[in-house]
Amino acid sequence: MTRKGNGTGSTGHHAEVDLFRRRMLQGLLGLGAVAASDAVAAPLRFFKPMHVDNPLAHYPNRDWERAYRDIFKADSSFVFLCAPNDTHNCLLRAYVKNGVITRIGPTYGYGKAEDLYGNRASHRWDPRICQKGLALVRRIYGDRRVKAPMVRRGFKAWADAGFPRGADGKPDPKYFERGKDKWLRVSWDDAYALTARALDNITRTYSGPQGARLLQAQGYDPAMVEALEGAGTQTIKLRGGMAFLGATRIFGLYRFANMMALADAAVRGVKPEESVGARGWDSYSWHTDLPPGHPMVTGAQTNDFDLFAVEHSKLCLVWGMNWITTKMPDSHWLTEARLKGTKVVAITVEYSATATKADEAVIIRPGTDPAFALGLAQVIISKRLHDDGWVARNTDLPFLVRMDTLQPLRPAEVIGNYQSARPANVTFLKKGEKAPPVAQQKMQVIAESMAGDLQPFVIWDKKARKAAAVTRDDWGPAFAKLGVEPDVRAKLKVKLVDGSEVEVRTVFSLMEQYLNENFTPKQTEQITGAPAKAIESLAVQIARNPEKTLFAMGMGPNQFFNSDLKDRAVFLVAALTRNLGFPGGNVGSYAGNYRAALFGGMPTFALEDPFNVQPDPAGKASVRKTIHYESLHYYNYGDRPLRVANKVFTGHGHMPTPTKAMWLNNSNSVIGNVKWHYDVVHNTLPRIELIAYSDWWWTGSCEYSDIVFGCDSWAEFKHPDMTASCTNPFVQMYPRTPLKRIFDTRSDIEIIAGVSHALARIYNDPRFSEMFKGVAEDRVEGYLQRIVDASPALRGYKVEDLLARAEQGVPALMNNRTYPRASSYEQQKGEQPWHTRSGRLEFYRPEPEFVASGENMVVYREPVDSTFYEPNVIVARPHPAIRPEKPQDFGLRPDDLSTEARQVRNVVLTGEELLRSKHPLRAKNFSHIYHTPKYRHGAHTTPVDTDFTSVLFGPFGDVYRHDKRLPSVTEGYVDMNPADARALGVDDGDYVWVDADPEDRPYRGWKPGTEELKISRLLLRVRFYPGTPRNVARTWHNMYGATFGSVRGHEGREDGLAKNPETNYQAMFRYGSHQSATRAWLRPTLMTDSLVHKDMFGQVIAKGFAPDIHCPVGAPREAFVRFSKAEQGGVGGEGLWRPAALGFRPTYENAAMKQYLGGAFIKVRS
Amino acid sequence: MAKVKNWQLKREMDYPYDEHRPKRQWSIIFDLNKCIACQTCTLACKTTWTSGKGQEYMFWNNVETKPYGSYPLAWDVRILEKLGKQEWARNATYQGKTIFESAPPTERALHYAPVDEDWMYPNVGEDDCAGTVNQGGHVGALPHDKWFFYLPRTCAHCTYPACLAACPRKAIYKREEDGIVLIDQSRCKGYGECVRACPYKKSMYNPHTRTSEKCVGCYPAVEQGLQPQCVVNCIGKIRIMGFINPPWNAREDNPVDYLVHKKQIALPYYPQLGLEPNIYYIPPIHADREYLHQMFGPLVDGAVERYRQLTSDPVAQGLLVLMGSTDRIIHGFKVKDGTARGYDEKGAELVSVPVVEPVMERLAWDEKLGAVRNNTP
Repeated sequence: MTRKGNGTGSTGHHAEVDLFRRRMLQGLLGLGAVAASDAVAAPLRFFKPMHVDNPLAHYPNRDWERAYRDIFKADSSFVFLCAPNDTHNCLLRAYVKNGVITRIGPTYGYGKAEDLYGNRASHRWDPRICQKGLALVRRIYGDRRVKAPMVRRGFKAWADAGFPRGADGKPDPKYFERGKDKWLRVSWDDAYALTARALDNITRTYSGPQGARLLQAQGYDPAMVEALEGAGTQTIKLRGGMAFLGATRIFGLYRFANMMALADAAVRGVKPEESVGARGWDSYSWHTDLPPGHPMVTGAQTNDFDLFAVEHSKLCLVWGMNWITTKMPDSHWLTEARLKGTKVVAITVEYSATATKADEAVIIRPGTDPAFALGLAQVIISKRLHDDGWVARNTDLPFLVRMDTLQPLRPAEVIGNYQSARPANVTFLKKGEKAPPVAQQKMQVIAESMAGDLQPFVIWDKKARKAAAVTRDDWGPAFAKLGVEPDVRAKLKVKLVDGSEVEVRTVFSLMEQYLNENFTPKQTEQITGAPAKAIESLAVQIARNPEKTLFAMGMGPNQFFNSDLKDRAVFLVAALTRNLGFPGGNVGSYAGNYRAALFGGMPTFALEDPFNVQPDPAGKASVRKTIHYESLHYYNYGDRPLRVANKVFTGHGHMPTPTKAMWLNNSNSVIGNVKWHYDVVHNTLPRIELIAYSDWWWTGSCEYSDIVFGCDSWAEFKHPDMTASCTNPFVQMYPRTPLKRIFDTRSDIEIIAGVSHALARIYNDPRFSEMFKGVAEDRVEGYLQRIVDASPALRGYKVEDLLARAEQGVPALMNNRTYPRASSYEQQKGEQPWHTRSGRLEFYRPEPEFVASGENMVVYREPVDSTFYEPNVIVARPHPAIRPEKPQDFGLRPDDLSTEARQVRNVVLTGEELLRSKHPLRAKNFSHIYHTPKYRHGAHTTPVDTDFTSVLFGPFGDVYRHDKRLPSVTEGYVDMNPADARALGVDDGDYVWVDADPEDRPYRGWKPGTEELKISRLLLRVRFYPGTPRNVARTWHNMYGATFGSVRGHEGREDGLAKNPETNYQAMFRYGSHQSATRAWLRPTLMTDSLVHKDMFGQVIAKGFAPDIHCPVGAPREAFVRFSKAEQGGVGGEGLWRPAALGFRPTYENAAMKQYLGGAFIKVRS
Repeated sequence: MAKVKNWQLKREMDYPYDEHRPKRQWSIIFDLNKCIACQTCTLACKTTWTSGKGQEYMFWNNVETKPYGSYPLAWDVRILEKLGKQEWARNATYQGKTIFESAPPTERALHYAPVDEDWMYPNVGEDDCAGTVNQGGHVGALPHDKWFFYLPRTCAHCTYPACLAACPRKAIYKREEDGIVLIDQSRCKGYGECVRACPYKKSMYNPHTRTSEKCVGCYPAVEQGLQPQCVVNCIGKIRIMGFINPPWNAREDNPVDYLVHKKQIALPYYPQLGLEPNIYYIPPIHADREYLHQMFGPLVDGAVERYRQLTSDPVAQGLLVLMGSTDRIIHGFKVKDGTARGYDEKGAELVSVPVVEPVMERLAWDEKLGAVRNNTP
């Protein structure tokens, strides 16, 4: 590397050679080659005297400059779409030389994007790209590409033996040495046939009463077996990884799942209308991206706004969101808004990258976000800063609640002869009647059977001094027509028509009491750590900026167990201050790319009736849903529902089925990066009989699969596809590309079609093949056009036009109501009610599940694990409306603080009591809240293990790996407050063991001294990080965990790389992963059968379970850990890590560094 | 040693060669208030220029977190330490010594030489802040009481390059047409004098080719009227590349001149070293002022104040949102009626953008196409 060499440079280390083996492909032959050929032509040339007088002025020898011009020059270029799950999606230009991509760049085409009406985005949208997209040049040709269809040896043996099973139906475990087995390369036809045979075998095995008996014998929860309804197809789980990222190729797996009803019909011999497809797993809620309180307040999946709306705000709260590192292409909107006067306030748990771009930063204790929001609301209400009129028109806060039942007071109960008219602003559907097509749904739609869910409410009219009915139509501007003056603070006894008297109070009055008793600024300070003054000042600023305050909420607070309460509390603040639905005043949640509803016409593709296939891809298709969706969190939880003591907390509509087969594409989050990863690996996967993955990169998920299908990379697409985003206004096409396939890969949709075709042969039923005829005929555009025609925001576009523009690097604009899109826009304008029972924003939840949990009102609960105090308690002084079911009510001991019990434990403590309480593990020296946020170097795990991005990921990146302990060219680490580290006797750069609750982590049933525990227990480098408060530690989420194979590589390979010698899988941890410390958590209020909300597509109002809308979301930032020192940080474990030893690290500063930090090397004199 | 004019120091200084300013001088401006350390520039440079053998550790363009980040390790601490404490008059006349003026008798410039291990951790110090965060923190005002900021760095294609001064073979030169400083790869013998002399440590030795290499200013792009790779890939839109004039020739409609000379919000970094570097930074408004004095000199106070007042300056706002809106080199700009426009050398419009992206509303029901257009689809 330099002349001194010391063996790290030109002497040719394995790692170096290995990492840079692609050099030849990079076209970087350049300098040496040119010099050499010149030398051949004129051997004495370099010795010719050359006179340079003043090299500033003149230089005679400039011919050599063409060397760099040659490097820069490309033969050709083409455009492809880069779309990891990062919410951005960028059309990128690949530059090609000699048939090989040499580099990637932006298209500068975003400023040319138009909608159907001639509106145009500006070039301020350019360039769209990031370092991860640029690094793809080394990933497309990378050594971890899945290069062909691969089958695990043991699995193939099981299939070849005819899928033998024991008496309980289980296969012999000898066939299932996942993670340790050999891999075989097979032909595509064999891979398709093998998958189809396995799916058929599993379907047959678990269908009917015999199947149910086997599953019971295997120990599955009886409720799960019952949910199967006798259909073995329902043990098959399909998941398109963030399906929104691929309208056809990823949603295609759901189409496949729906199609599996054909198999059910064949196996069970049932009629088409009785047959059931496979199950589909959720996406957005699985990633803990869904803000689960949004549907509770607005009825819609998520309220949000295109991020560039920030230009129209005066105050922007960036809350639990590291915008600067996770919304990189949209960061300039934030920094440019500041330039024009927008004040930015970061609410964060550390001094983050985003805090540096803020005018003000408030640092709170992790997981106390709901408390912080409640503190803001308290100030606003107590200072009377709220907008009474807006609240009265648009929220349920003036509605009366009966204190005896905690249910809303209904007009018929209190107004004699009250006749309830049906709401007029919603269309009722008779039984069997179909909703209008999504693109033509001008009004909300609801089934007549749900009419009872839209009952009117009652307010207390100050003017007339009597109760007045408020129907679902009396909202927004229409409310004025009632001519009433609601008393939002009403608290009185009313006489009911039956003659009895009952105490009633408004939701506002109940909330006000709760806030004043529990969340004054001082009290909020004690819980959140935020100074009272900061809370007061911020609340006042919000109130002073109605319609101009944006709440940009991030994934941080979403990943705590109390996340829905955070949403409900933030909406309360926004509603009180008239900051919802305005271009510059709104609430948004930014985690994951999800808004599949933008493709409202999706059911015409994903849910096409398999018994009545439309063979023409562009033809009109009939829709029939045979698929049941399911939350993946049950699989994550050990393939179990939440059953604690004598109660099942999982609602009927949410109930999972036993998982026997799974097939996923475009995703590493279900095995490789799953929460409680090692519990899934050691306890859940062994119960699953087929694991298939389609991917173009060998991830941790592939490590534990049975079949891995090698897919085309984005740069090799042979079938077009389509996606869009929840944060920007573009619809984006994946164009076909001219790049030849580099390996023996296929597109995702071809793989789905291939397995379908194999099923057609098994069942002798051509409909399986016809379902994917458009693929065989290379007319996938037809499916896309079908979706476009039926989607509200797209109808009017021609797919071929969109594709032609995409090939030039130009996307198109979505035709939503506004640019930028702002949720609740129609609602605040008074054109449409919210998608709730009342048509208003709802802060009171009267459903029995909420009342039983003590969460009928917006309350604060402590985090379930990431806390120094007693976990998950409700903080409240005695309050008449907080009357939860107690642990003993369902057979649980009140002092049972185990992780399982905690999830359902409704214990109420005052703030003072909370602060005196202790997390049960504190007695065992557990000391740190441990959270795992996302960061700039990866979109999930893409492409963090690619050398050029890896080496910049963290302080330990070293491309030459001087320290052979380094698992790759970088490694995972934990950020720790220096004072904490010193207290633990740990130096900067040392290794520590990280242990969470031994009851169930790293996995249930771990045993000392086993190989399983060795790979699962987390070992990390410590970084002294002054930006985190004491007792709060952090590890970035975006890394590849240790597997059996990576540990074998790390311990057995000469170079010490944690790279699986069998598969090339490259871990970035030596042992364990950032998912070693957390676990699966199921939250009762997210599993109700009663919550009313908008359905996924269109304006239909539904109830209970809905994937990605109302279901569990997990809580991966919940972990309370203990650190213990493992190894020294110096190279090879000797001494101190060099940068610290030299005095350039925090708290190790040498004299010069100290002067430098203080700016002492320059003195400015007047 | 010749006496040359260094306008950044407001005085003459010593340099081994006579002053000679090129016809045009390549220059980049970076708005540090917009830099997000995404490293897209780093990867753009790396994938274009340095993915070959012997270049593994090289980042001609890098982004480091200040104050704890540095590549190579502590490059600026070490050269500042060597130079010692220096003084600067508030009117911007530098009263201390430059690295040329304090060079040891046998050297062209004062220097420190990094060892191999100093290049090991290219992103050490990322997001490490000065000051310690405690529970209950509230950063209530500017500047912040704890702080860090990102410093993206390329070769500064200095008016008085230390690499050029130090090269014993005179294999380093400055191009007359654009001021880009190049190491002649056909003549370089890899003595490494430039690596030692450049105080910014932007010359790097390639053990495979046995030559030293550095940022080439993307001259193959610049020759085609395109901005460098690190600029056109900058998603923070913090950069603009143009041709800077010395203050006595400044042109107000030239974006670079406007920010450096007219508004005086962009400053050279470590100008006290005496190289008259041609990359300029809009300083971060939240960082510690004493530290910024050390990095940018006494003019930083005014620059920060003026930047904060841009909220009432639509012209500067327009220019700052024009940054990154075209991949072409902008030679002139104009901001009028809420629109910023960039022009090429001949005055033809390259791009125009709104200073504030407008809100557009569509009809709720498109009768012709039979489609609802709503925001909660």
